[in-house]
Amino acid sequence: MAMTRIERRYAWLGLALIGPTVLVFCAVIVFPLVAAIYLSLFRIYTPTLEGAWVGLGNYAELLARGEFWQALRTTLIWTAGTLTLQMLFGIAMALVLHQSLWFRSLARSLVLFPYFVSTVVAVLVWRWLFNDLYGILNHVIMVAGVSDMPLDWLGTMPNAMVSVILVGAWKYFPFVVIAVLARLQTIPEALYEAARIDGAGPVARFFDITLPQLRDVLVVVVMLRAIWDFKEFDLIFLLTGGGPVTATQTLPLVVYKEAFSMNQMGMAAAHAVAMMAVMLVFMIVYIRRTRGGQGA
Amino acid sequence: MAGVELHRLRKEFGAFVALEGLDLRVEEGEFVALLGPSGCGKTTTLRMLAGLEFPTAGEIRIGGRVVNDLPPARRDVAMVFQSYALYPHMTVAQNIAYPLKKRGVPRAERAAAVARVAELLQLTPLLDRRPRQLSGGQQQRVALGRALVRDPQVFLLDEPLSNLDAKLRAHMRAELIELHHRLGRTMIYVTHDQLEAMTMSDRIAVLSAGRLMQFDTPGAIYDRPANRFVAGFIGTPAMNLIEGRIAAGRFTGQGLDLPLAPGLPEGPAVLGVRPEHVTIGEGAQRGRVRVVEPTGHETIVIAELPGGALVTARAPARARPAIGEVLPLGLDPDGLHLFAADEEGARIDPAR
Amino acid sequence: MTFLGRLAFNLIAWALVLVIAFPLAWMVVTALKPQSELFRRPPGFLPEAPTLDHFRRLLEETPFATYFGNSVILATATTAVVIALATLGAYSLVRFRYRGRESLAFLVLFTYLLPSVVLILPLYLMMVRLGLANTLASLVIAYTTFALPYALWLLRSFMAGVPEDLESAALVDGASRLGAFRDVILPQLVPGIISTALFTFILSWNEYLYALVLVNSDAARPLTTGVMSMLISAFNIEWSLLMAASVMMSLPLIVVFAFLQGYLTRGFGAGAVKG
Ligand SMILES: Nc1ncnc2c1ncn2[C@@H]1O[C@H](COP(=O)(O)OP(=O)(O)OP(=O)(O)O)[C@@H](O)[C@H]1O
Ligand SMILES: [Mg+2]
Repeated sequence: MAMTRIERRYAWLGLALIGPTVLVFCAVIVFPLVAAIYLSLFRIYTPTLEGAWVGLGNYAELLARGEFWQALRTTLIWTAGTLTLQMLFGIAMALVLHQSLWFRSLARSLVLFPYFVSTVVAVLVWRWLFNDLYGILNHVIMVAGVSDMPLDWLGTMPNAMVSVILVGAWKYFPFVVIAVLARLQTIPEALYEAARIDGAGPVARFFDITLPQLRDVLVVVVMLRAIWDFKEFDLIFLLTGGGPVTATQTLPLVVYKEAFSMNQMGMAAAHAVAMMAVMLVFMIVYIRRTRGGQGA
Repeated sequence: MAGVELHRLRKEFGAFVALEGLDLRVEEGEFVALLGPSGCGKTTTLRMLAGLEFPTAGEIRIGGRVVNDLPPARRDVAMVFQSYALYPHMTVAQNIAYPLKKRGVPRAERAAAVARVAELLQLTPLLDRRPRQLSGGQQQRVALGRALVRDPQVFLLDEPLSNLDAKLRAHMRAELIELHHRLGRTMIYVTHDQLEAMTMSDRIAVLSAGRLMQFDTPGAIYDRPANRFVAGFIGTPAMNLIEGRIAAGRFTGQGLDLPLAPGLPEGPAVLGVRPEHVTIGEGAQRGRVRVVEPTGHETIVIAELPGGALVTARAPARARPAIGEVLPLGLDPDGLHLFAADEEGARIDPAR
Repeated sequence: MTFLGRLAFNLIAWALVLVIAFPLAWMVVTALKPQSELFRRPPGFLPEAPTLDHFRRLLEETPFATYFGNSVILATATTAVVIALATLGAYSLVRFRYRGRESLAFLVLFTYLLPSVVLILPLYLMMVRLGLANTLASLVIAYTTFALPYALWLLRSFMAGVPEDLESAALVDGASRLGAFRDVILPQLVPGIISTALFTFILSWNEYLYALVLVNSDAARPLTTGVMSMLISAFNIEWSLLMAASVMMSLPLIVVFAFLQGYLTRGFGAGAVKG
C-alpha cells in the first residue's frame, strides 16, 4: 500500500511533533528504567558509587532474605486495607453527594480537598491529631471513655498499621468519590423510574441498577488505586518511617532504605525491580481493560 | 474551472472497504449529486476529493491535474461539512471570513465578501453571534456561507440543506441552482433527498456500499435504472420488484402472467414496475386490496397478488377501493423493467 | 421524602462531610492559636485570641519563604515544560498516523503507572554525574518523569474531544496542519490545557520523594521537604508553626478550589474515569 506524498509528509510532521516528548521519555524514563535493571546486577556503595558485578546475586540474596517477603506482605496488607476503605467510603460518599443536599457544591469541595492537599500537609496534620499528649484524638477517646490511657497511634502495632491505613483512606478516597460521582450522573433517570414502577425499593434499586451501572468504572478505579497504593511512599515514610521497627515497612520504603541508609544502591535497585515485577500484574490487567474500553 | 475525475478510487479503513474502485467523471461546470443510503461512502468520497482522506489506491484529478499528492489548501476546493464544522470560538462573520483570511485577502475586501454572502444567505443580523447561539438551520447556512464566500474550482457540499425547514430549503435550493448557473462552477452535492437530487443536478451518481450503481441524468436514472438497487432506491413509493421468470416471451411469477417484448433471455428474473404504471380496477391481472392510503392528490393502494407478493399502485385521488376486495389490476407494458435475479441484479434489455 | 426525612439525611450527610473536613479545619485553627492555647485541657475549637504570629515567624525566622519560592519556580517550570511538550505530543498521537503510534500510546500509559522508586536510583546517579544534584533543574527533570505521561494522557483525551471536522474545515479553508492547530484546535483545547496544567502544577507542588533524594540544600529545597526538615531539625516540635506552614503550603490549592474547581472536575473526567 503506497502512501501518497502528502500522507508521508503528515507522518513526518506527526513524528516531529511527538519527537521532543519521545526524547524526554527516553532520557528520563526509558533509560533510567533500563539502568535500574542494570544497576540491580551490581553491588554498589552509594557514597562512592563504586560497583562490582554480582549478576543475579542481589536477587538471590533478596529472595533468601526475610525482609523482602515481610515487606511484600506489609505492602499487600496496606494496599488491601486502605483500598477497601477507600472504595467503601468513596462509593458511600458519592451516593450521598449525588442526592440533593443542602450546599452540595460546598460539601463536594470539602470532601475532595484531602485528595489534592500535599501528603506532607496531610501527614503533619494527622501527626498533630495523633499526638500522644496534646492530640485531639486522644483527648476525644479519653473523654468518651473508650480508653483511660492516651493511645500510641503510630508507635505500636497494630495501631501503626491501622493508623496508616486510615490516613491513606482519608487522603485517597475522594478519588473514588469523583470517579463514581461522574458515572452516577450519567445513569439515565428513566432506569430508576422504570424500577420504581416495578416496585423496587431503594435497596433493590441500588443493587439492580446502580451497582451494575457502576461496575466498569469501579473496576478501573480499583485497578488504578491498587497500583497507586502499592507504590505509595510519601504517606507511610512520613507517618511512621516504616516503624515501629519494620512493622509498616512497605517495598518502596525498603528500596529507599537500601539505597540511602544501607548505602546498597544495587540491592535497592533489585528491590525496585522485584517490586515492579509484582506491580506488572496489576498494570497489565489495567491496561487490558482500558484498551478494551477505548476500542468501543 | 475544472472537471473532476475519479479513477479506480479505493479506500480501506483497516479491513473495512469503504469504496471499492470508484470511477467517476464529472464534467467542467456540472452539478452532480451523490445519492445513496447512509454509510455508502458519500462523505468518504468528498473527503478524498478535498484531500482530507487519502486513497488506498486510485487517482483523483481536478481540472485534469492529478491532485493525490496535494494538501487540501492547494486543491482549490470548498466544502460544506455534514456536521457544519463551524469554528466555535469565532463569530459568524469570522467564520465566513476565515477562508479569505487564509488566502491573504485584504481586510476591506473580506468584509465586503462577507456582507455579500450574508445577504445571500439571510445571515446579516446574525454576523456577530457565535455558532452555539444559532439554530441548526442557521448554522448550516453559515457553513454554506463559508464555502460560497470563495470562488474555488469545485464545490463539495455534504448534505448542505438537510437541517433547513421546508420553506427555507426550497428557497436555498433555488438559490443554489441560480448560483450554479451564475458561477458555472463544478459542484458535487451529497444528499439523502431524492427530490433534491432529481431537481438540482445535471447528473446523479447512485452509490451503494462503496460502489457506483449508476451515473446518469435524473431522467435516465428514473426511467432506465441500471440495476435492481437503483430501481428500488429511486422513486417514492418505491418501484415494485416482483420475482419470477422469463419463459417463451412471457414473465410469470406471483400469479402474474405478462407478455414481454421479444428478445429477452429466458430464466429467472425480477420484474420492476413503478406504482404509477400499475392501474387498479382494470387490467388483465388480479389483486386483493390490502392497504389504502389517501394522500390528498392521489391514493396509494397496496394490493396482494395471488402469489402473495405486494404491489403498490398510484390511483386517482378519489379512488377508494374497499379493503379485502379483489380487483382487476393492470401493468403498463411500457413501464416494465426487467432485472437479473442474481446478486447484481443488472438491468435486462431486449437484444436488438 | 418528607421534610423530616430530608432533614435527617442532610444532618447525617453533613456530619460525615464535617468529619472528613475536620483535620484540615483543625490545621487552620491550630495555626491561628497562640502557643498557650494548644496545650489547654479541654482544648477549645476556635482560638480565643487568634493570632497571625506564627505566620510572621514562619516568614521571618525560618527559610520558609525560600522554600515557597523554590516550589513556585519548580511547579511553574515543570508545568510549562510538560504542557508545551504534551500538547504537541497529544496532537500528534490523536491526529496523525504513523508507524509506532499505538506503541507510543501504550508506553505513555505504562509510564503513567510506573513507580517513582524504580526511576529514582538511576536518576539520582544521572544527576550526580551531570553535576545537577542539589539544583531546581534536577527536580524539573525528575518531575517530568511523572508529569509528562500524566499530562499526555489527559491531553490526549481532551484532544480526542475536539471534533475532527473542525480541523478538516480549516484545512479546506486554506490552513496548513500547524495553521489549523493554531487557529482552530488550540482555542478549543484551552479548557483542557488549563485543567491539565492545574493538575500538573498540583502534582509537582506536592511531590516529596524526588525532592528528598535529589536535593539536600536549603537553597534548592521545595516546600515539601523543606517543611519536613523543619519538623525534624526543631528541638521541640512547634505544632502551631508547622500548621501555619501547612496552611501556607495549601494556599495554591485553596485558590484553585475557590475559583477553578470546574477545571479539576473536567480533568478527572478526561483522565481518571476513562483511564
Ligand atoms: N475514519 C473511519 N474509520 C473507519 N471507518 C470509517 C471511517 N470513516 C468512514 N468509515 C466507514 O466508511 C463507510 C462510509 O462512510 P461515509 O461517512 O462516507 O458514509 P456516508 O455515505 O457519508 O453516510 P451518511 O449518509 O450517513 O453520511 C461507513 O460504513 C463508515 O462507517
Ligand atoms: Mg456522510
